[in-house]
Amino acid sequence: MIQFFRNSRKILGMNARNLEFIRPNNLRRAKRLADDKLRSKRMLKKADIPVPELIGKIKNVDELENFDWAALPESFVLKPNRGFGGEGILVVYGKKKNLFNVWIKADGSLVTVDDLKTHIRNILDGSFSLSGVPDIAFFEERMKLLKLFKPYAYKGIPDIRVIIYNKVPVMAMLRLPTKVSDGKANLQQGAIGVGIDLATGVTTTAVFGKNKLIECVPGTRLLLSGIKIPYWKTILTLAVRTQEISGLGFLGADVAIDRDLGPVFLELNARPGLSIQVANHDGLLGRLRRVEGLKIKTVEKGVSVGMNLFGGEIEEEIEDISGKRIIGLKEKVKLIGKDEKEIEVEAKIDSGADFSSMDKLLAESLGFSSTMNEFEKLGIDYEKIKGLEKQDREKFFKDKNIPDLEDTAIIHSSHGTTYRPMVKIKIIIDNTEVLTKVSVIDRSHLKNPLIIGHRDLHRFLIDPARMAK
Amino acid sequence: MNQFISLALSNGVPLDTLILVLILPIIVTVIAFFRQVVGIKAFGIYTPAIITFAFLATNEIRYGITIFITVIIFGTLTRLLLKQFRLLYLPRVAIMITIVGFSILALLIIGGIYNRTGLASVSIFPILIMITLVEKFVAVQIEKGGRAAVVLAIETLVISVVGYYIASWDILIRYILHYPWISLLTLPANIFLGKWTGLRLIEYFRFRQIIKPR
Repeated sequence: MIQFFRNSRKILGMNARNLEFIRPNNLRRAKRLADDKLRSKRMLKKADIPVPELIGKIKNVDELENFDWAALPESFVLKPNRGFGGEGILVVYGKKKNLFNVWIKADGSLVTVDDLKTHIRNILDGSFSLSGVPDIAFFEERMKLLKLFKPYAYKGIPDIRVIIYNKVPVMAMLRLPTKVSDGKANLQQGAIGVGIDLATGVTTTAVFGKNKLIECVPGTRLLLSGIKIPYWKTILTLAVRTQEISGLGFLGADVAIDRDLGPVFLELNARPGLSIQVANHDGLLGRLRRVEGLKIKTVEKGVSVGMNLFGGEIEEEIEDISGKRIIGLKEKVKLIGKDEKEIEVEAKIDSGADFSSMDKLLAESLGFSSTMNEFEKLGIDYEKIKGLEKQDREKFFKDKNIPDLEDTAIIHSSHGTTYRPMVKIKIIIDNTEVLTKVSVIDRSHLKNPLIIGHRDLHRFLIDPARMAK
Repeated sequence: MNQFISLALSNGVPLDTLILVLILPIIVTVIAFFRQVVGIKAFGIYTPAIITFAFLATNEIRYGITIFITVIIFGTLTRLLLKQFRLLYLPRVAIMITIVGFSILALLIIGGIYNRTGLASVSIFPILIMITLVEKFVAVQIEKGGRAAVVLAIETLVISVVGYYIASWDILIRYILHYPWISLLTLPANIFLGKWTGLRLIEYFRFRQIIKPR
């Protein structure tokens, strides 16, 4: 029950969205800009944001009658300037051969100039605009579908919705058009929303329509999780930059990826929908609160804050399932030696080594100076000892009574074979404690004072792509 | 009786008008409550309020509901019929109002045939109000699609029925005539609603998968 209330407090509802986020952050001027597609397109283009190229526009019936239809390219998108929710958008994919000025839609049906004229008249009359005010129709270039998305998208172009607040990307989802949504990427109309891990740009959980959780593309066995979105950082950067330009403090940015052009900015949204929370299986309010009041000076900073704060869910999931922690090739670890002496060092994770091994100086700082001194006094090296059996060696050292000497070991490495003393310490890797014995050798000529061998790595998975925190 | 009420009455303000005006703030506050706290949207605030009064003006609420449902059904059918003609907005609405008007007329006649005289004797104003509901219905269909429009129409019906029972609640009316100022208590109530940022009840359902402890 307590958990229930704690979880529900993380969720952004309509009331809070309107009163706490849209009202104070999106001033009327900025909202008007977002609702005017042509003006925002012009403004973004001036600021060097890639947008779909404008082919032509029709402002009134006169212009409609005098429009040069032959000048239209093979494929284009016809949109109402103030349309919303994907209404009133007409997409053609090619020109019909042997016929004059006839285009083909995705479902194979034909579109004539007369059809276009009727549609445009409806747009001009405001049939698709907010509150029915007269509108402008415009043509823009059609995005080309990325190969990666081909199996997932039905007809239309998928896009990526990123919510930006205070210059920080807080949540994102991939929107895939479906048969139900008729090729439109709108969740309200039945598209699929797939949550995205902000740190990696890899998809996580998915929702079909407004709140049906799914794992695969409906009717197929195509998994929706684990899709790696290309140009991820560029997309986030683009989204944050448009926030700066548009002045919308609480922005839903839509970015598509064109096969040839890469990320292209599609649309500004002053009132982004709330279903993105279901797609990501997480509440927005919790994330917005964490970003609120941060002083973010640059776009790059905002992007990296978002990636750091709201990523890593996939790793956590793997950690949950396997019961193991995920670590990289370099990790900051804490060593606890004799008399609870603590030292933090960067360790190299080396699954090729059996035992962990640390530098002599490090061992001395951990309280093992006398161990090292007395061991060295014996003047033993591999050549002298190699004739002895293991039991004999153990007995030999037991008699010498060297303090804190846990064990000794013959270590074969690329530098040759050495005979080393071993001491018992605790290593804390990513909050996990490992009690172990570590061989000691002079590593001062090496980059890392500590390597961790596979005997101490049973409770970890290694991800070579992961950076040290 | 309250002084204010007797002053109004003695100056020729009809009692019915007085009651309606005093009860109106309560009705609209209930509608606001349904939107902000429960999450039932309906067609804004004007439509459910006016439908509530249309229900009050019909003799029996079941006739009001019957007319309402007829309007929605024929509104939907006409829309499907007109879709292929691709008409502009106002002519389309005009055709819909015409067809819905005739369907209501047919309903009244059918009511008469089956001796439901109460239906035929419903006064013209509630009928007109409900016919013009079609325009709102069409606007929402364009804006949010056919299904959403039907859902919103049903929500409007639910709220209007609740409003009807509140407005015809004897005890409330008696209280309001004794203490007309309680009608003003809706002001602080609305200030509270206007600052309410909590989740709506419906949102607990919508986001149940995220809220559910894992």
